[in-house]
Amino acid sequence: MTTIAPAERAVADGSGPRPMITVDSVSKWFGDVVAVSDVSFTVGPGVTALLGPNGAGKSTMLRLLCGLVAPDRGTLSVLGRDPRTDLEVHRSLGLVPQQESVFDAHTALEFVRMAGVLHGVEDPDGAARHALALVEMDADDRRRLSTYSRGMRQRVKVAQAVVHNPWVIVLDEPLTGLDPRQRRHMTDLFHSLGGQGRCVIVSSHVLEEVERFGSDVLVIAQGRLAAEGDFHAIRDLMDDRPHRLRVRTDRPHQVAGGLLAAGTVVGIRLTAPDTVLVDTTDVHRFRRCVAAVARDEDAHLWEVIPLDDDLDSVFRYLVGRP
Amino acid sequence: MTAPTPPVSARPGPPPPIPAVAGSGPGAVGAARSGRGAAAGSRFSVIYRLVLRNQVTVGRLLAMAALGAVAVLLGLAVGLSSQSDPVDAGATLIDRYGLQLLAPVVALVFASSALGDLVDDHTLVYLWMRPVPRVTVAAAAALAALTVCVPVVTVPLVLSAALTGAGAALVGGTAVACLVGVVGYVGMFCALGLRFKRALVWGIAYILLWEGFVANASKTASRLSLRAYTRSVISEYTGVGLDQATLPLAVAVAVPLAVAVAMVLYTGRRLARTDVD
Repeated sequence: MTTIAPAERAVADGSGPRPMITVDSVSKWFGDVVAVSDVSFTVGPGVTALLGPNGAGKSTMLRLLCGLVAPDRGTLSVLGRDPRTDLEVHRSLGLVPQQESVFDAHTALEFVRMAGVLHGVEDPDGAARHALALVEMDADDRRRLSTYSRGMRQRVKVAQAVVHNPWVIVLDEPLTGLDPRQRRHMTDLFHSLGGQGRCVIVSSHVLEEVERFGSDVLVIAQGRLAAEGDFHAIRDLMDDRPHRLRVRTDRPHQVAGGLLAAGTVVGIRLTAPDTVLVDTTDVHRFRRCVAAVARDEDAHLWEVIPLDDDLDSVFRYLVGRP
Repeated sequence: MTAPTPPVSARPGPPPPIPAVAGSGPGAVGAARSGRGAAAGSRFSVIYRLVLRNQVTVGRLLAMAALGAVAVLLGLAVGLSSQSDPVDAGATLIDRYGLQLLAPVVALVFASSALGDLVDDHTLVYLWMRPVPRVTVAAAAALAALTVCVPVVTVPLVLSAALTGAGAALVGGTAVACLVGVVGYVGMFCALGLRFKRALVWGIAYILLWEGFVANASKTASRLSLRAYTRSVISEYTGVGLDQATLPLAVAVAVPLAVAVAMVLYTGRRLARTDVD
């Protein structure tokens, strides 16, 4: 695992907030498939993003945190309690599950109000209205949830997760289906909740999304914790890894020679009469350099495309690091 | 200002209220908890109504009502025919159609869907994440299923018994047998709906293979079949000797009720241990 800035930084010396979530050597498998493998971390107040590609084990990790499944190995606690066996902890825990399904025959107010009643909130109607207002939904909308768009359902799911004013809020891909304005609003809401001392864990497989969530990140890949700590440090690490790009030009030999001479590439290969594959550790410098080289060589650049900019390759790189 | 942190290990106190956003409604909500007794009642009621609303679909109701209508028509046919012993004919009809088919099938359809539908459509998570004792969820689901099954089974079968012309004994026996049987089956099939993905198939297999075949083969096996208890009720009320109907009335009534209670407790336990999607 790559530790950028230890999550337990402030916890260990008692200088900062105590962990609200503690995960210790947790593993979970379904049949022969290992979903989570020997994962340990602690999370304190504020927004923490759980980042990983699809199928990395994020949802399983969040289900473990909420007690929806039991770990096969290891222990975990939320606010010092076992979320699997201790009902009391659910008073302080809210979840936005990944699946879209809700109680289709209900209205938004009925659905959120029901959550309030089941949590024993004193004024479930008022709490439900307030929670719906937080996500910019109309509590008086009499339409059933089955008629709602994906984004509207997503917002209602967030409302039911916060209606009881929980300490710990777990959100599994909560921005799915939202338009850009709603994404921004929801991100602001998560920051506001985290700023109040709540523990907000948000999962995502979109790097740019996580960037907006905040600085604390847990990167999970292939069921393992690949990195944890400050997002910007992880982002830099990702940028520092070797990148491969494809350059298509009418003068590949001259361009390849120019790039080598400029010293911006660590490897170069001609793969077709008009195509050069380039390995570089500094994409930004390469992008500046390639245009100058083409101009100097009087070459036409038809295409400069990164071949491994997807998250999967980033995670593979992080997991593969010593 | 330093943000407050919750106490760890002890039950955490209320966090600061979620602030209102521009254009939103009232301010502080959520922190206040309602009284324990009143809250427990409200929770039970909410889950009960939710399950009731979920499981009652037009298709299910029409299909089960059609089965009930067949029972009424059969009762009418028996009543109109020139039977030498209408009590015997009526008791046999109620036993063969009502207690062997209608009661268990109706209970299977509604009770297995009470929690099974929530598992299938991945909405169980919205109940599981609440601080509600799992046995409360199970009991509310079973009561919701009972609310539908009792009238759908009892009304047509009592009417059918009356139409046979066998008299008050069969009518009374049918009412009691239906209630006892439906309670037992609902408890059992609620658990089945949570335990198995294809609960309908398992339930039909129980009704047809176990109750319809294996239970008739020996007295011991029949004791493990709810039908032996319901037909014993009919037999006790009417004096008609039905196969494997050898149990005294008190036992025939008490055992299915006990089975239902045990199954609700099992369902609650199972809910606590099940993996939730």
